[in-house]
Amino acid sequence: MDAYAVGVLTNMGLFAFVALSAYLLLVAGEMSFGQQAFFGVGAYAAGVGTALWALPLWLALLLGMAVGAGTALLVGLPTVRLRGLYFAMATLAAAEMVRIFFEVFRYRREVAGRLVGPDGTQGFQEIRWVFERGIEPLGYLGLIYAILGLLVLGLVLLERAPLGVAVRMVGEDPELAAVLGVDVTRLKLGVAAAAGAVAALGGGLYAHHNTYVEPRNFDIMLGVHSLAYALVGGLGTVMGPLLGVGLDVGLLEGSRVVRGYRMIVFGGLVALLLLVRPRGLLDEATVHRLGRLRRRPRPGVPGGAPAG
Amino acid sequence: MLVDVVQNTIDGLLIGSSYALLALGFTLIFGVLRRLNLAYGPTIMLGAYAATWAAREIGAEGLALAAITVAGAVLGGAYVERLCFARRGGLRGAATARGPAIASMVASFALWMQLEEVVTLALPRHLYPFPPLYAGAPLVLGPFLLRVEHLVTLAVAVLVAGLLAGLLFGTRFGLAVRVVVDDVEGARCVGVNVPWVLVRVFALASAVGGVAGYLIAATSGQVTPMLGMWSTLKGLIAMMLGGLGSLPGAVVGGLALGLIEVHSQWYVGPSYRDLIAYGLLFLCLWLRPAGLLASPAARARLAATG
Amino acid sequence: MRAAGLALWLLLAPAPAAAAERARAQVACVPAGPAFTYDCTIRLTGEASGAPLTGVEVTVGADMPSMPMAHNVRPARARPGGAPGEYAVRLELEMHGHWALRLRLSGAVRDQVFAHLVFTSTAVLTAEPGPVPAPHRPHR
Repeated sequence: MDAYAVGVLTNMGLFAFVALSAYLLLVAGEMSFGQQAFFGVGAYAAGVGTALWALPLWLALLLGMAVGAGTALLVGLPTVRLRGLYFAMATLAAAEMVRIFFEVFRYRREVAGRLVGPDGTQGFQEIRWVFERGIEPLGYLGLIYAILGLLVLGLVLLERAPLGVAVRMVGEDPELAAVLGVDVTRLKLGVAAAAGAVAALGGGLYAHHNTYVEPRNFDIMLGVHSLAYALVGGLGTVMGPLLGVGLDVGLLEGSRVVRGYRMIVFGGLVALLLLVRPRGLLDEATVHRLGRLRRRPRPGVPGGAPAG
Repeated sequence: MLVDVVQNTIDGLLIGSSYALLALGFTLIFGVLRRLNLAYGPTIMLGAYAATWAAREIGAEGLALAAITVAGAVLGGAYVERLCFARRGGLRGAATARGPAIASMVASFALWMQLEEVVTLALPRHLYPFPPLYAGAPLVLGPFLLRVEHLVTLAVAVLVAGLLAGLLFGTRFGLAVRVVVDDVEGARCVGVNVPWVLVRVFALASAVGGVAGYLIAATSGQVTPMLGMWSTLKGLIAMMLGGLGSLPGAVVGGLALGLIEVHSQWYVGPSYRDLIAYGLLFLCLWLRPAGLLASPAARARLAATG
Repeated sequence: MRAAGLALWLLLAPAPAAAAERARAQVACVPAGPAFTYDCTIRLTGEASGAPLTGVEVTVGADMPSMPMAHNVRPARARPGGAPGEYAVRLELEMHGHWALRLRLSGAVRDQVFAHLVFTSTAVLTAEPGPVPAPHRPHR
């Protein structure tokens, strides 16, 4: 596979984590402009893990996820009773605070004769754990997709479980869910923490792919883009955000035809799509219909397809 | 010492007046639509860039530039309104329906991206000089410095706020707008032509934004592609601080934001300045989400849905 | 399948290679004919020795720090330039602004170096990673 294709696929894979993170909150009924903060937190935490504390990659990624989930709870607890636009603005404010925090955060240590660590606005250089072990981009791409695959599998299984149903119910109609006995607050906080962990996992992988990160990597653009991909791809299934990422980062960005006009094309397509499909391409209705197709009755069998 | 505090306060109010203008436009749209228009700043940027182009190509200046900025903003706003926020026939869900609200907002974000690319394709440099409003020295009032362009902005902000108040409380159109803000379905029931009102409010908000954009560009003497996001953020923060959907709140929020920024920057420097502003916004949303100046109706509405 | 297996093995922490020579890069670019295209000259020196590095295969990619993962610039192979340690490459970017060029070095030296440059239609200037200045000029 040539370097260009590897690069495109790597970008798609990494972006998918933030898009999934935004998707999880959207399904739970909340719109977050701030998932990029947890992406950043995960990047910095995992970077500190491998570059400063000599942790192996897997442990550093787990550390990043833990810090990401913790930060998400820190943001989520004060805002759990906010709805809609208020919640969105709060996440935006929190995310910018996190980003500005990284602009002033310094934690430098001497490792193997050079000063390493986050250095405020200069960013965090020397995240070379992956590079120093001779892991080439293709191998790392495999790692990213292996982890992404496991994550998607886990989410798909959760969606079918009672937990997933409860989350969707909370997203659709929280009052009804509460009446039916669902602990809405606990569930929302749980989803927020999970979304934070997912974004942080992606961030850790990004940091090691790029070998350096800086605070301006994690600004509002990243967050709103991931929200857009999640919504455009569709809120009916975990594949939705992946589709959204694939369409823009993969298809449009990779196409030479729209070079230089990509945002005009994508922006127009998104606006038009959302006019007719406000829940995205793979919205709940479409997913339901696709599911029914699979359960079509065999010829000669009396009765019809079972409901749903 | 005291001189610094007073000077900073004066500067804060002056800078806050441009934020207040931005917030006024935002609030108008949010008040009637209950949706966030993320493309608001970019339409203002479109107007400012159109004016920049006019200044470079045909030597336009002064009031003509202001008019072009407003025209550009209104045209951009009309485009955004048609594509993202226009209601398509029938009672398509209450204004507070969750699904379509996110869709409109994300659609407006998509148009934000479009407008930003259009602007950078037309004028690709990262920075363009904009004919300044006033090229002379600042006024000296005792120990205090007052920049003339800032005073003009404050005067215009007060004027615009007054005009809007007169419009909303003194005309039939204003009455229709207030009815729509209070209760969209009720307005429909009593026969208000809601789509007609929405289109005009959008145009009005874009015009106010255009005025703000001209003043900001002429005061800082430059335009950059960051102007879009920057205007959106400032207007948004000011609006949330003052209280969603409240016009006096927009003014208060804008002035408050200006004061907070200037004082923070003086004591702790530019990096922490934004941190403090966002921190206060977060605190405000946590403890008093309806905003500093929210109307009892807004607070009740928030309590009902929250 | 192989890539996933390899990836899984790599995840479990093998030891790093022995400390290799690190490189320093100086990059200067000028606009070439077509839009968003630039001709760049790269000077590679050893970090410790300061000597020019020859016989290195340099592949140049690019991404924008303010919009990570959103761009897919085709990586370009540099060819040896005039002097020892000098390499030349033609870059095709997608827009103007601050780009972080990623130089992947292999062959004589294996390393990865970044060069931060601001690309405009008329010139290319060096940039440091850092905060974006606000469009509203400070009042004082």
